[in-house]
Amino acid sequence: MTAPEFPVIALGDDALTVLCGPSDIRHTLAHHLARDQSWIEVVPGKRDVTVAFDPHAESMALAMSRLRRLLESAASSPALARQMHTLAAVFGGEDGPDLAALAETLGIPAAQIIDEVLQSPLTVDMLGFTPGFAYLSGLSPMLLAERLAKPRVRVPAGSIGLITGQVGLYALEGPGGWPIIGRLQVPLFDRAAPNPFRLAPGDGVVLRPSGTL
Amino acid sequence: MSLRVIDPGVQCTVQATPRRGYRNAGVPYGGAADPLSMALANRLCGNPAEAACLEIAYGPASFAFDAPVQVALTGAPASARVNGAAQDMHELLEIGAGDVLDIGAAASGTRLYLAVAGEMAADSFLGSQSTYVPARFGGHQGRALAKGDTLAIENIHRIPFASTPVELRLPLSHSFALRVVPGPDCPEGAFDVNSSVYQVTHRLSRMGAEIEGPFPSLAGAGLKPSAAVFPGALQVTPQGLGYLLLPDGQTTGGYPHLLQVIRADRHLLGQLRPGDSLRFLLRSQAEAEAALRAKQALIAAWVADFRL
Repeated sequence: MTAPEFPVIALGDDALTVLCGPSDIRHTLAHHLARDQSWIEVVPGKRDVTVAFDPHAESMALAMSRLRRLLESAASSPALARQMHTLAAVFGGEDGPDLAALAETLGIPAAQIIDEVLQSPLTVDMLGFTPGFAYLSGLSPMLLAERLAKPRVRVPAGSIGLITGQVGLYALEGPGGWPIIGRLQVPLFDRAAPNPFRLAPGDGVVLRPSGTL
Repeated sequence: MSLRVIDPGVQCTVQATPRRGYRNAGVPYGGAADPLSMALANRLCGNPAEAACLEIAYGPASFAFDAPVQVALTGAPASARVNGAAQDMHELLEIGAGDVLDIGAAASGTRLYLAVAGEMAADSFLGSQSTYVPARFGGHQGRALAKGDTLAIENIHRIPFASTPVELRLPLSHSFALRVVPGPDCPEGAFDVNSSVYQVTHRLSRMGAEIEGPFPSLAGAGLKPSAAVFPGALQVTPQGLGYLLLPDGQTTGGYPHLLQVIRADRHLLGQLRPGDSLRFLLRSQAEAEAALRAKQALIAAWVADFRL
C-alpha cells in the first residue's frame, strides 16, 4: 500500500490519523507532513501518524482534503535519511537494577542480554509517554520481558528499559514501569539546546559499552 | 514590584500559553487547565489572553503585594477579600502597597485564575512560560509555588474598571455535560452515550481525571499500539474506568480511546472536581464545528485574542 491509499480516520473533532502501519514509511510520511508546516502537531504513533489542525481556520473536510493531497505528494517524497546515534551505556548494577532478575527469569547470563542489546540496530519508533521518552524497535523478541508489577515512582534520566521486542530510553527523570537494565552515559535532553531532545522519531540508535570506541 | 505567596493552597502554578508543536517529542501542551477563565482574568487586566497568570487549585490561598497594582480573579467561584474586605470575582480589583488578597475555598469547580495588570515574571521553555511540574518546565523554577515565594511583576500598567459580562461567567455546579464525538475505538451502536451518568473520582490532577460509570466493555481492552492522544480524550482502562486527559496528560496512549470531548467544551475540563457528576452528549462532526463557531463568537465579542 502506498501513501495515497492509506486510510485516514478522525481523531476527535480537530485531528486526523493516517493508518499507515508500522513500517518506516511512517517516519518519511511524518517528516513530509511536518515539512508542510500547516499542521499544529504531527505525531507518529506505533502504527500511524496523527496531525492536529486548527478548527478555527478550517473544517475537518478541508483538513482532510489537504491531507489527502499531501499523502499523494508523499508517494514521490524520498525516503527519510535516517540520523544515526551511537550512544555509550553501562549495564547492570545500580545503573541497571533489573538486569540480574531479568537474566534469572530468562535463564541466560546477563552478558548475553547485554550482547543482544548491543548488537541490535534500533530505530526510534516514536517519542511519547513523558517528554523525550523514546520507544525503540529492533530488539530480538527472544528477550521476553514484561512491565514491572509495581512501576517505579522515580527512574533516573538516561535509564535503559527493556520489554519484549523494545528498548525504552528515559530522557528525563520520572516515573517508569519498564525493567531497567542500564543507563546511557550521554544526556538525551539538553535544556539549553535549540532542540533539547537528542532523538527524533525515525532515528537509528546503536548502543555501545561505555569506555569503548 | 512583587507578589509574595503567603499560602499557595493545594497547588498553585504559573500558567500561560500552551507549549505547542512538541507533542512528537512527548511534550504535552500544558497551559491553563481552564484557558477561558484565564483569558477572562487577563482581559480584565488588559493583558494578552494567554499572558502568565496564577492557576490556583481549590483554594484557600493568600497573596501579598508590595506595591499598588490591579488584579482580577476568575474561574471556580470562591470568596475573595482584600485586607479582610469582601471583593467580587470577575471584576478589576485595586490592590494597595502591603495589601493581602485572601481567596476562600472554591464552592464548585476546581481552579481559579489570578491575573495582574502587568507581566508576571516566569521562566520560558519551548516557547511557553507554563509550568509543567513533572519535567520542571517553565513557570517559577519549574515547580508549584510554595509559601514565601516571590514573583516579580514587571511593566505594570493601569486600565479602566471592567467586569466580565454575565453570559461569559461559567455557571459552575457539581454536574457537567460535555459534548463529545466518538473516539477511534468507540463501538458502533452498542453504547448509549447520552443516557448514562458518570462520576469524577478523587484521582484528578492537571494530567487527567478518572471517571467512574457504565462504560462499554471493549474487546481487547488491554493495551493497543500507542497512538497520539490529546486533551479531552476519554480512554477506558482494563479496570473499566475512564481516564479523561487534561493539558498535562501524556501525548500518546495505548488504552482504547472511546470518546473525545469536542474542542468547544475542552476548557471545562479544568473545572471538573472529585465527586462531580458528568454526562457526555454525543455530537456529529458538523455539530461540533457549529458549537465551536457559536461559542467562539460569543467569547470573541469580549476577548478578541482568545481561541478556544
